[in-house]
Amino acid sequence: MTHPALEAQLIVRVGKGGSAFSVEADLSLAGGTLVLFGPSGAGKSVTVQALAGLLRPESGHVRISGETMFDSVRHENVPAHRRRIGYVPQHQSLFPFMDVLGNVGFGLPRAERSVGRDVALLMEELGILHLARARPDDLSGGERQRVALARALAIRPQLLLLDEPFASIDHDGRAALRASLKDTLKRRELPAVFVTHDPDDAIELGDSVVRFERGRTTESGLPRALLQRGETVILHGTPAGEPREEEGGRGVLRLEGATVEAPMGLLEPGDGGKVTLTLRTRPRARR
Amino acid sequence: MTSADTFPVYLSLRVAVTALLFVAPVGLWLSWMQARKRYALRGVVDALILLPLVLPPSVVGFFLVVLFGRRGFVGPFLEQTFGVRLVFTPAGAVLASAVVALPILVKTAQPAIESVPVELEKVGRTLGLAELPLFFRVTLPAAWRGVTASLVLAFARALGEFGATLMFAGNIPGRTNTMPLETFAAYQAGDDPRAFIYVAILTGMSLVVVVVAARLSPRPALP
Repeated sequence: MTHPALEAQLIVRVGKGGSAFSVEADLSLAGGTLVLFGPSGAGKSVTVQALAGLLRPESGHVRISGETMFDSVRHENVPAHRRRIGYVPQHQSLFPFMDVLGNVGFGLPRAERSVGRDVALLMEELGILHLARARPDDLSGGERQRVALARALAIRPQLLLLDEPFASIDHDGRAALRASLKDTLKRRELPAVFVTHDPDDAIELGDSVVRFERGRTTESGLPRALLQRGETVILHGTPAGEPREEEGGRGVLRLEGATVEAPMGLLEPGDGGKVTLTLRTRPRARR
Repeated sequence: MTSADTFPVYLSLRVAVTALLFVAPVGLWLSWMQARKRYALRGVVDALILLPLVLPPSVVGFFLVVLFGRRGFVGPFLEQTFGVRLVFTPAGAVLASAVVALPILVKTAQPAIESVPVELEKVGRTLGLAELPLFFRVTLPAAWRGVTASLVLAFARALGEFGATLMFAGNIPGRTNTMPLETFAAYQAGDDPRAFIYVAILTGMSLVVVVVAARLSPRPALP
């Protein structure tokens, strides 16, 4: 029986006192790339760090390819350094005290670091072989992220976690990196979790997507279905005055700070003089 | 120079190096703890680390006598169990130097360790490093400037230690008379030329330390 690449159900509490907040995540990934999508501060990074073993969840479980990494009921917790999970954070991730080659081979046993055949092939694949002796300070944002990716892949991880890896990269660089990452993951059939708030990233890279809002996973599905269908908004309140009649049986009304144009029938107040409108926003435009 | 003249120089160097060997692992561990861990007694530990820096050295020496003296709390135990006597011995001078060097080491190394981005350590963990290898392969290399400066300053403080050493190890010629003690003794005896020799050596060494520490002081953070 083949196990799903990732199954996780987590409650993670972060911070103390007034700044404390908790994140509840429910994730599953059969294979391919799972995108965690949502605004900043929604709990995506916390979730990724809990998957990597860098934060200890309060309760729940994490299983990777059927192997338990964390289980609060069975008191199991595999430490981060034994999970064999590749992790590419957003910023500040290259070791500044060694060159690119040293960074890429960092997670390998000493003997393999010096032989370096696999490392060289990996660097060639990601287009950074010519930078082997460069220092991290001398690299562009895109080059740094390629090096960080190579370093995470060098340990032959069973799962790759990418926490907004393209956040500080310009639009063109992003497209190139995205394509390179997609190829690399496909070639290795490596399951990955990709954190982003950019719908283009989600649609290009994701096989499935989970939406995060205010510390919760709210819905999941196929990227295009989830991110291109628009949002549902409900307006409910006492309108500011009567609806103004327009041509074709339509009317305009001020409601809850918004100006709404709709068929007159929908704008008539119900019980208590209140109006309820269910609206659907336009799908997000593709760039 | 006779061997009686050179003895304080050798003794001082030996005491400072030995003190550094003891205080470096303890001090770096404390620096890491204070920089990275949040625990209940953190503030108390911080105060205890700083104490030898703000207390008069003679008071530090007095505490050492109370703790490690022949009738102190720990002294008799050390003497009976391990046969180690600290008071009025070169080992006592090492202990006194180590105690006063500790706060300087921790207070210089701690900010250097704090300035290492936590992300680097997180990545190090996912690349297979447990706590101790992580410290040696990521934290220490990333903080090497500040950590080296802390060791250099701690060495200088140990080399120049006077008050606590006098109280605890005494000023026994040919046994515990380090350069600072010998300077004082020569000056009191009216032998200014002899005092000047040690003054010159200590000033020269301190100058080197100041220059090295300044060169190692943290550069502006990278963007």
